[in-house]
Amino acid sequence: MLLRLDTSDTRPLHEQVAAAIRRAIAEGECRAGDRLPSARDLSAALDINVNTVLRGLRELRDEGLLEFRRGRGITVAEGASRRSGLQIRVRELVTEASRLGYSRTDVIDMIRGLT
Amino acid sequence: MTDRETGPVPRSRTARWWPAGAAAGVTAVLAGLPWALRDRLPDRPATHWSGGGTPDGSLPLWAACLLPAGVWLLTVLATSVRPRRSAPAARSWRVMTLAPTGAVLVGAQVSVVRANLDHTDWHQARQPVLGVVLIGALAAVAAVAAWRFAPRPVAVPAAAPTLEVPEGERLVWFSRTANPWLLLLAAVAGLVAVVALVALAVGLADPAALWPVCAGAGVVALAGAMCSSVQAKVSEAGLEVSFGPLGWPVRRWSPAAIETARAERRLPSQVGGWGYRISGLGTTVMLRAGDCLVIRPRGRRADFAVSVDDAERGAALLNTLRTRLPTD
Repeated sequence: MLLRLDTSDTRPLHEQVAAAIRRAIAEGECRAGDRLPSARDLSAALDINVNTVLRGLRELRDEGLLEFRRGRGITVAEGASRRSGLQIRVRELVTEASRLGYSRTDVIDMIRGLT
Repeated sequence: MTDRETGPVPRSRTARWWPAGAAAGVTAVLAGLPWALRDRLPDRPATHWSGGGTPDGSLPLWAACLLPAGVWLLTVLATSVRPRRSAPAARSWRVMTLAPTGAVLVGAQVSVVRANLDHTDWHQARQPVLGVVLIGALAAVAAVAAWRFAPRPVAVPAAAPTLEVPEGERLVWFSRTANPWLLLLAAVAGLVAVVALVALAVGLADPAALWPVCAGAGVVALAGAMCSSVQAKVSEAGLEVSFGPLGWPVRRWSPAAIETARAERRLPSQVGGWGYRISGLGTTVMLRAGDCLVIRPRGRRADFAVSVDDAERGAALLNTLRTRLPTD
């Protein structure tokens, strides 16, 4: 799998790591059931602290994209490719809304108001 | 006589025909030599000698002619089947097999004829130990000559794949291959080693017989486990290939240490089996047939290859990192 990291990105590093893996899953770089490189390997390759990498990976687990399994390492969850594509778009929506001065609650209200 | 086999580097014009010609020539020598001298040979030439140089086996003349020729033709056939459907890169491996085999067969046939010459009964034929040593030396010379002169695969293609990396973006590539069969082999061998060790400790069997079993199974278990999975990683630090579930041992190449990288389809039959293989194609870490990431380390004549998925992009990224090097 190919991971892309933008060096000019100003977001916190753990978010960047999560975004890179989210994008890789959405683009089909790794499929459901595939094993991810270990946090140690990711940390060495991306030149990012291993705890930061783990924090990013935990975020993805909480989003339901990754599964942590004892003895089998970190694997891509079932249905993660569809979900990660949607996740990326939701994040873009929230970012765009906040740029225009809308809070998350406003966006949620707008979604609820859709018929 | 073996010059025909190990001899000159093929010229471009005759390159196509010299393997077939050499194979036919060796066949003719093997089958024709005893037949041509049949008047001076016993009806059943001695074909096997015991340690002291006294003969302990013989064959009818026709069998003494045809058996080595048959073995030779079978070897030629076995090595000709595969290159037809795979990459031409396997050529040197083929020559490496055929040259020593031909040398040994021709040398053996010549020494058999020489030992039997002008005897009426095969029991009188003596085989000096020197002859056996000479045949061994001949095979070694043939192997070295084949290694030195065999046409090498064209290893460095003109256009190595590259990947477009936008400015300000950092790319890393990971790939992993596992072979469950090698893991199973390692597990079984490990079990055998442990059982042998327990038997040794309890004193169930003769230690002299059990120690080699224990040590052999232990080595197989370790080697199997080491080659059961392989991880390749390409980052700004270069290529890193780590073996086994523990990711150890590791081999690393910095981008500057790599001349070129490419992807290639390789088969276990081309490199001599599964695992860590050294062959005419260089070093190959072969876990499964198919895509391999192949690099040519700077200043080396031999390639290093590892069988991983998506090797094309790994090679492309590696080439890009390599060309970017001076500006970084």
